[in-house]
Amino acid sequence: MSPERRTPTPPPLSGDPILRTVSRAVFALVILFALLLLWRGHNAPGGGFIAGLMTACALILHRIAYGHTALRVDPARLVPWGLALSFVTGLVPYLLGRPYLKSDYGYITTALTGEFEWATALLFDLGVYLVVVGGSLAIAYGLIEVNPQERVEGDE
Amino acid sequence: MTLAVFLPFLFAALCAWLGTRLERRTGYVAALAFVPALLLALPLSGMPGASPALEVTRWVPTLGLALAFRGDGFSLLFAVLIGVIGTLASLYAVAYLSERERFGRFYAYLLLFGGSMLGLVLSDNLVVLFGFWEMTSVTSFLLIGLWHTRSAARDGAVKAFLVSALGGLALLAAVALLGIAGGSTTLSGLDVEALRASPLFTPALLLTLLAAFTKSAQLPFHLWLPTAMEAPTPVSAFLHSATMVKAGVVLVAKFGLLFGSSPLWGGIIVPVGLATLVWGAWIALRQTDLKALLAYSTVSQLGLLMSLYGLADAEGRFTATAHLLNHAAFKAALFFVVGIIDHETGTREVPRLGGLRKAMPLTFAAALLASLSMAGVPPLGGFISKELFYEAMLHRGPVFIAVAVLGSALTFAYSFRLLRVFWGPPRHPPGAEPHEAPPGLLVPAGLLALTALAFGLLPGSAEALTRTAQNALNFATHRGHLKLWHGVTPALLATLLTWGLGAVLIGQAAQVGVLGRRLTPRVNANTVYYALTEGVNVLSSRLIARTQGLALPDQLRIMLGAAALIAGYAVWRAPQVFHPVGTPPLALLPVAALLVAGAVGVLLARSRLTAVVVTGLTGFGSAAAFLALRAPDLALTQLLVEAVTVILFLLVFRSLPRSRDLPRTRWRYALDLLLAASAGLGATLLVLAGVRFLAPPISPYYLANSYRLGGGRNVVNVLLVDFRGFDTLGEITVVGMVALAVLGLVRLGKKGRAPGGGAPTPVPATPGEKEEA
Repeated sequence: MSPERRTPTPPPLSGDPILRTVSRAVFALVILFALLLLWRGHNAPGGGFIAGLMTACALILHRIAYGHTALRVDPARLVPWGLALSFVTGLVPYLLGRPYLKSDYGYITTALTGEFEWATALLFDLGVYLVVVGGSLAIAYGLIEVNPQERVEGDE
Repeated sequence: MTLAVFLPFLFAALCAWLGTRLERRTGYVAALAFVPALLLALPLSGMPGASPALEVTRWVPTLGLALAFRGDGFSLLFAVLIGVIGTLASLYAVAYLSERERFGRFYAYLLLFGGSMLGLVLSDNLVVLFGFWEMTSVTSFLLIGLWHTRSAARDGAVKAFLVSALGGLALLAAVALLGIAGGSTTLSGLDVEALRASPLFTPALLLTLLAAFTKSAQLPFHLWLPTAMEAPTPVSAFLHSATMVKAGVVLVAKFGLLFGSSPLWGGIIVPVGLATLVWGAWIALRQTDLKALLAYSTVSQLGLLMSLYGLADAEGRFTATAHLLNHAAFKAALFFVVGIIDHETGTREVPRLGGLRKAMPLTFAAALLASLSMAGVPPLGGFISKELFYEAMLHRGPVFIAVAVLGSALTFAYSFRLLRVFWGPPRHPPGAEPHEAPPGLLVPAGLLALTALAFGLLPGSAEALTRTAQNALNFATHRGHLKLWHGVTPALLATLLTWGLGAVLIGQAAQVGVLGRRLTPRVNANTVYYALTEGVNVLSSRLIARTQGLALPDQLRIMLGAAALIAGYAVWRAPQVFHPVGTPPLALLPVAALLVAGAVGVLLARSRLTAVVVTGLTGFGSAAAFLALRAPDLALTQLLVEAVTVILFLLVFRSLPRSRDLPRTRWRYALDLLLAASAGLGATLLVLAGVRFLAPPISPYYLANSYRLGGGRNVVNVLLVDFRGFDTLGEITVVGMVALAVLGLVRLGKKGRAPGGGAPTPVPATPGEKEEA
């Protein structure tokens, strides 16, 4: 649990005990499922984009229930890192003389897990995931932080 | 060569990181980045005999794009020049910049700039050349606007960028035309015969000229160069002597071999160059700010170089190359000297300075050598190349030589004006104690001034350097030599006339000033520029007020109308034989019902909340349809996007006033119904028309190869991350940009002005939100 921070204005939509209790359980489940989607996206329905949206949903739910973010960082800062990760993943094969963004894959067999497939595409997908999480959360958090009592003036 | 171009880029990142740690000492690291460029002197020493080396790194072979660097004599000569001045500028900046400067940023920009310029002169591939050309525009924008807190710096940066980016677009078009007409994307591989016969020859020529004139600040595009002196002085020295402004000259020199046969080429360049020579020198004479004087002097000298290269004969190219070297030496030296004066006295205004000779004798010596070279006085390099310039113009005719003499007389006069600050009674702003500059400032200036002297006393050295470019620029046949004394020739007489005129100009300075005020035109390039930029602003705000200021329903009507029109037009132009619609799968019927119900529900909804939830119905319906069509990935994505969209909608609605129906007349109802119906019909027809494939579908290929090539069994995802990975990269870039844009809007809205347009109400920072610095 992240420490309770004092907010200047009590954020709306939060403080409902039922919502809090449910969100605590749901949050972990949804995040886990999102990571599963990210992990298996290469061979089954799923992938970075979907997983990112799902993670964003879970975090928004948490934020609405608790009134503070579950992240330690400003989500907007995830965007450049995700972009950089995807870009660099593509750069590696290029520097090795293969086409840009050519993915590679292989198999590792261990006694514990059986045959396990790895793919560089997962790294690229992770970049996509980070960008989607950062982007959608940045928008959502920005909107949550708008204080509806403020009358924003329209065009002059 | 590839290393020489890319090392500055690598070091730029390094310097940006080191800037806060090493502070001013970052300059030594920056200077190291130019070492490979300096090492290009080794292949250069084998010129003009050796054959040019070619280094190719493949990039996008299908587009004929490759990082091809060709080390012919001229390119190498220029690269070494950039290396020398770049190194000196970096070292000079170490001593010049104040303690509080952001060193990381400064050196990173400087190196990016130097790297772009190296790429520009060495590049053999036209498209890559254009890319580096644009990079010099961008990096010069960053450098000129380095002290962005000053409005003059911002204005200068924007001006430089707009003007040179305009030329960049022209160059892109020229490169495309050349590639089509010449059948190659490399400069050395162009088919010159085919090009000259092609109808595209003239447009390509004109576009190239536009690019060169904007970059090299020829009339009427000279307006950006004087404002570019807002950049820190080391940068100005680099920019004015060896880099950006010479890019246009390089372009004219290299492309002159292609276009030189056309009378249009010389017919445009030579008059424009000579006009720039005279006009730039005339304005320079009337400046009181030393740096502005040098900036206009650069404009004028570039005109001289342009007119020489524009002659498109061996003599002109030989002379121009010789003068290019001289100019780089004395102009960079003078900028360094002015930097020293500014550094020691805190001002650059001529009237406030005087008698600096006693305080800084060594600086004075450097200034004297460089100024005399600029004025074209023996025994300095500038004199020799000016003699050759007169020779070349004498071959052209009396008008040309007259203009050349006039321009040079003005040059002579302003060179002495610059030296005035060293003579006379000591004068400097109170509080400043000018004394000799520290060695870090003096050595770069002194070295270059001595080079200017060496070019004059040992003309063989300058000639050998100039000759290295003879095969690249095709002046091997020209037998000219650089000599201090070549007997009493018409050129020498012209020089004597120049000195006489120059002396008159100096002696009658007061009358010249009066004349100058009389001659100042009411409209100059700057007023035109500001009128244009203002005009665009006014036009766009009016246009937006007319088109974007409507109510949201009106916006929607416009969009739907346009969609209906476009879809209708497409269906009408390409009337497909529609596929006979077979029996629709029964599973889709409930889904279709759901979708229609959602759409109707929105219309009947009383409150916004209901409307959003019902809109969600259509989204979830689409997801169900995807599932029924066996596309689980799509369905999942659609489902989640819909969920996030609904959440965002609800968040936005919290801060909107209560909804109310806008009154609608019966006529409006009919119109809206018609619009909605036609948009729907158009979309349906488009989809139906798209069902029939004109080409065999591409999906079997992916189905067969996704596991073999991408190692994944989920074809959709393998497409996304491998086969079409580049598209995905673009996609997430867009996602990121949209997020940042929305964030900006939301934060702006939060800082919304209080009612009545009072002071902005401070909004307390909420946790999780980073305070913007």
